[in-house]
Amino acid sequence: MAKEGGIYRLMATYDKRWVYVVLFIVVLGPLINPIGMPIGISALTKNYYAQLNTLQEGDIVFDTWNMEFSGYMELKPGVLATHKMFIEKGVKLCIAFGHYEGVALPGEIFKQLQTWLDRYDYREGEDYIIIGYVFPNEAAVAALAQDFHANVRVDWKGNSIEGTFLDDIQNAGDFDMISDYTTGLATTYMINHMVLQYGVPMVENSIGVSVPGHLANLDAGLLTALLASTRGGAELEYLIGSPGPGLKSMDAFTLGHYSLMIFIIVGNIGHYGWTRRTGAKDRTGIK
Amino acid sequence: MTVLVVSFLLVFVPYFIPWGPLDWLSGKLMTIAAVTNAFTIVIAVYSQFRRSGRFIREKRKGWAYHIYLLVLLAIMTLSGFILGQHAGAYEWLLLAVVTPLSSVIYGILAFYMASAGARAFRARSPQAALLLVAGFIVLLYQAPLTGAFFPGIEGAATYITNTFGMSVSRMFSISVSIGAIVLGVRMLTGREVAFLGFTEGEE
Amino acid sequence: MLLILLFALTIKFMGQAKLPYIRRVPALDAIEDAVGRSTEMGKPVVCSFGIGGFDYWTVAGLSILGYVAKICAETDTRLIVPTGGGSETYITREAAVDLVRNAYTAAGRPEAFNEEDMPFLSGEQYAYTPGYVGILVRERPGATVMTGSHYSEAMNIAEMANGVDSITITAGCYTSNMAALACASDYIMLGEEQPAAGAYLSREPAQMASIRVQDIYKFIAIGTILVGIVLVNVGSDIINRLLAT
Repeated sequence: MAKEGGIYRLMATYDKRWVYVVLFIVVLGPLINPIGMPIGISALTKNYYAQLNTLQEGDIVFDTWNMEFSGYMELKPGVLATHKMFIEKGVKLCIAFGHYEGVALPGEIFKQLQTWLDRYDYREGEDYIIIGYVFPNEAAVAALAQDFHANVRVDWKGNSIEGTFLDDIQNAGDFDMISDYTTGLATTYMINHMVLQYGVPMVENSIGVSVPGHLANLDAGLLTALLASTRGGAELEYLIGSPGPGLKSMDAFTLGHYSLMIFIIVGNIGHYGWTRRTGAKDRTGIK
Repeated sequence: MTVLVVSFLLVFVPYFIPWGPLDWLSGKLMTIAAVTNAFTIVIAVYSQFRRSGRFIREKRKGWAYHIYLLVLLAIMTLSGFILGQHAGAYEWLLLAVVTPLSSVIYGILAFYMASAGARAFRARSPQAALLLVAGFIVLLYQAPLTGAFFPGIEGAATYITNTFGMSVSRMFSISVSIGAIVLGVRMLTGREVAFLGFTEGEE
Repeated sequence: MLLILLFALTIKFMGQAKLPYIRRVPALDAIEDAVGRSTEMGKPVVCSFGIGGFDYWTVAGLSILGYVAKICAETDTRLIVPTGGGSETYITREAAVDLVRNAYTAAGRPEAFNEEDMPFLSGEQYAYTPGYVGILVRERPGATVMTGSHYSEAMNIAEMANGVDSITITAGCYTSNMAALACASDYIMLGEEQPAAGAYLSREPAQMASIRVQDIYKFIAIGTILVGIVLVNVGSDIINRLLAT
């Protein structure tokens, strides 16, 4: 006997594991065998690129990695592309972590930037200094913003920072820019104690779910630029002419979104057909 | 409570009224707070050992997992202290064990969001249909290929995000900020003491 | 000046004998129905209060936990409270344990309180998440109430709770995941509804005064926005300059 609703019922109540399987296939396929679909460049990324281009050689940037390793996986294209721009421009970087997992990040990141480090002779201690995990809480951010050298005297390996470019930094206002990569850790504290207090321009590379919140900060002028997640990183890679992990993953990104839209369309057709056929007012969705 | 109020004033006042000696004192206090906070990790490790030790001694349900936890805790801590955080062993443990595990939990979110979205975006009512249309436009824009062929989609999607999305986000930020300040007032006036470890009637 | 006004209003309302009126949040009815459903099916209830420290959301989450504990104690329903997820949860956990113990004692069933049903899973967010999910999969609760400050793990937990056919009631404290939680949950308390629910349940003058002051400030904000829109359109940016830092 045919089930009430027939094919429409099937379309409206498909098992959610089909979503997982299809998503897995459409994401894995292009990663193994890239298709090379074109991408559009958003206004947000163009603005981010323009802001980074205002930096001059010798400018000191506070480079804050407010991300765990899991967040780094999403922000990786933007992190690498941004650092390539910094290296090319010859800006000085003071790198700080907002999470203890940041200890493992420099090895990963600078390994992938090795070609650029060699090309531009960019050295630790001279061009960039890693001060380590210094943002465990808001008090630490506030303290560091107010008096840099009272809170940081050595880098993450215990070498003194005296005699380096950080001698010029007394408080957060002495940085030319803050470049933040965030999953939402110390970012709000930095806006409160560094941007609002000292007026330092801050650019943000944020995970996708946090972008709507950061758009409000961008609109209010608290952030000067925002790079949105993997896609923003891919667009930045395109703009700087250095394809990387971001552009490679855009095919998977596109197909994943389209497959989700197809599931939504199928579900809605099923829901509409089922309610029309059976006259019921409401039907639940996926099992 | 006196310590709380004095500490608050020492940090709050210099934010608005810059004065050298007060700024210096405020900076010192915040540095002390940051260092003290770091010591809570020590307390956390100690309390974890105590708690797990109790579980193991009394052979409560799941006690074997506590042995596993303590062994891993010891390996990680000792390798970091003895070999150093830049040594191969500690970095290997971080990169080969901790980071893939946390990456998996984060990555699995994509599947859950997809299934939740596919389930929730149903046009059951006119309002739901409107939400569906708006969501569809934003989803289409998020797929990079769409922007390459239909540049106009950026305008529509950013309009939705910058008007509806941003206004909600701003409203939320205002509410939360005011709530946080009011909570601070409650703490300063002694009306909220749970954070000091007291419960009702114990003050 | 706005801050001083905020302080003064809060202290004024906290000192008043008459409690401000707060409407009952619809999600509270959903909590009662969900716990009732769990009791009928003989399934436990899982309730968590967040992974943050003693912040705005955790205080509300603890009030709601106390309410759920009271209903579970009265209806003889097993209550499981996964704790942990953040470094400050070592402190908040103790408050939660006391709260649940007191709820069972007040209901006249102190012997029913079982601290092992309040496992400390981990001080790390992504270690807490699989532990919580494991509890949901093994215990298959009839209701999952997730309040307080939950961040990205909330989506994992809500979707898995849905997957084990549990009524899922969540509270969004994090703008970024509120939309996703709304999709995954059966009921959601959006933003301010959570502290309002906490204040309504606790009937504490301080909490209720907070909600009243926040409402007053929202009206001030609405008024300022409307005045600002009018002034900007006539060419004056006085509101912008007043509010700019």
